[in-house]
Amino acid sequence: MDDERLISKKEVLETMGISYGQLYRWKRKGLIPEAWFIRRSTFTGQETFFPRDKILERIGRIVEMKDDHPLDDLAELITTRVNAKLRVALKKLERVGWLDEELLKACWPEEQSEEAVSIWQAFVLGVLSRLRKTARDEEIDLVRRTLEGEQRKGLLERVSENGLRLYLLRKKVSSGGISAQISLVALADAGVIFDPEIEIVEEVELPTVLQRINLDLARGEGTEEAAGEGARPEETGEQEERR
Amino acid sequence: MSEERRSVSISGSGRLGGGEYERVSISGSGRVDGDVIASELRISGSGKVSGRTEVGQVTVSGSGVFGDAVVAEEMRISGSGRVDGPIEAKEFKCSGSFRAGGDVSGDYVKVSGSIRVAGDVEVDIFKASGGFDIDGLLSADKVEIHLGGRCSAREIGGERIVVERGTSFGGPLLEGLVKMLTTRGVAELRTTQIEGDEIRLENTIANIVRGKRVAIGPGCKIDRVEYEESLKVHEDATVDEQTKI
Repeated sequence: MDDERLISKKEVLETMGISYGQLYRWKRKGLIPEAWFIRRSTFTGQETFFPRDKILERIGRIVEMKDDHPLDDLAELITTRVNAKLRVALKKLERVGWLDEELLKACWPEEQSEEAVSIWQAFVLGVLSRLRKTARDEEIDLVRRTLEGEQRKGLLERVSENGLRLYLLRKKVSSGGISAQISLVALADAGVIFDPEIEIVEEVELPTVLQRINLDLARGEGTEEAAGEGARPEETGEQEERR
Repeated sequence: MSEERRSVSISGSGRLGGGEYERVSISGSGRVDGDVIASELRISGSGKVSGRTEVGQVTVSGSGVFGDAVVAEEMRISGSGRVDGPIEAKEFKCSGSFRAGGDVSGDYVKVSGSIRVAGDVEVDIFKASGGFDIDGLLSADKVEIHLGGRCSAREIGGERIVVERGTSFGGPLLEGLVKMLTTRGVAELRTTQIEGDEIRLENTIANIVRGKRVAIGPGCKIDRVEYEESLKVHEDATVDEQTKI
């Protein structure tokens, strides 16, 4: 983390094709965290640097989304500032294919009568639903327990600030004619390296899951359903966003 | 559902507990102990709020002191004002003198008097015709400064940054005389760094100016200019180093 690569402000503007005005505006609106502005003196005087991967990813996302959303809303969406009070209707989860009765039951056996779940629950479901095809039951459970264990340590906030990923890994161990496979779960930055004998079964970009929830699923109080029941899941959210 | 909020007015000398009000007006000498929420707060005498101020419209024409943050739709200072906490005001206008102990943020700031800010000023539009002293960053989409006194900010950044000499009315000789006689000091802007897409400067002293289209006008002393598209340097300006990026 400490020696992550830096990029100068000039290079950011050039690489992303944005202007000073935009950069200052986005900082002002809270789209780029203050902490990312790193001042260094160089031979030409003061210069501002940024953590390279983070700033490029963030600006890419702002550029992509800025035409469809008012700038003031964008901060909440992009920084995936987590509003714990928001709830996600199960219907919506169903529509994006995240709702799996079995998963839901496995995760929260008592709460299945409700029509909505919390952001956290939606997040866990979102992650698990991406693993469902490839992961075994006990692996799903391992992932769930890993996430739950981190919940209180502010996992959601960390996900929104760093580009955390979840890796489901398997490794074969054999000796004396007996071989076994062990499963591992890791939460790491995108640059993580595993030894060559480890098989990456699944890799989930956590910010994407969270963003999806914030953008498509949890917007607006009392989330009105979009008219077209048969709308394709991929598009439902966006239609609601545009005004 | 909401119970009716009352309006209070202190016209002699008085104290008021914090709380929710419709209108608070202080025309003598008054003090609010605690946080105040109101749709309007007028201080025309001398007033002090010890806590946080969350008011639609704040008007200070006498002397007003705010011990904590101020959140307002509109804040106008025509006398003297001081806010010790951060200020968040959609519209902030100061024609008197003003000190802010923290950051100032909002949509629009207009200074025709003089302000001193210990933090950053980050707004959409910043217009000044008086003097200012900003310890931190001054950032706005549009920064328009008509130098009317000593102006300084640690850094300035935005889309369009224009600094012009104040309206002079009698040619350089008279202007020099005015400078000598007024206590406002030299009408110039000092900063370490200016970054913007369109930058037009006069009477500005800066270490570095970075921009897309840059015009360095008379009275400027700039150590280094980095520009992308165009650079104009007036003959009465000094630019030590210039680079096209």
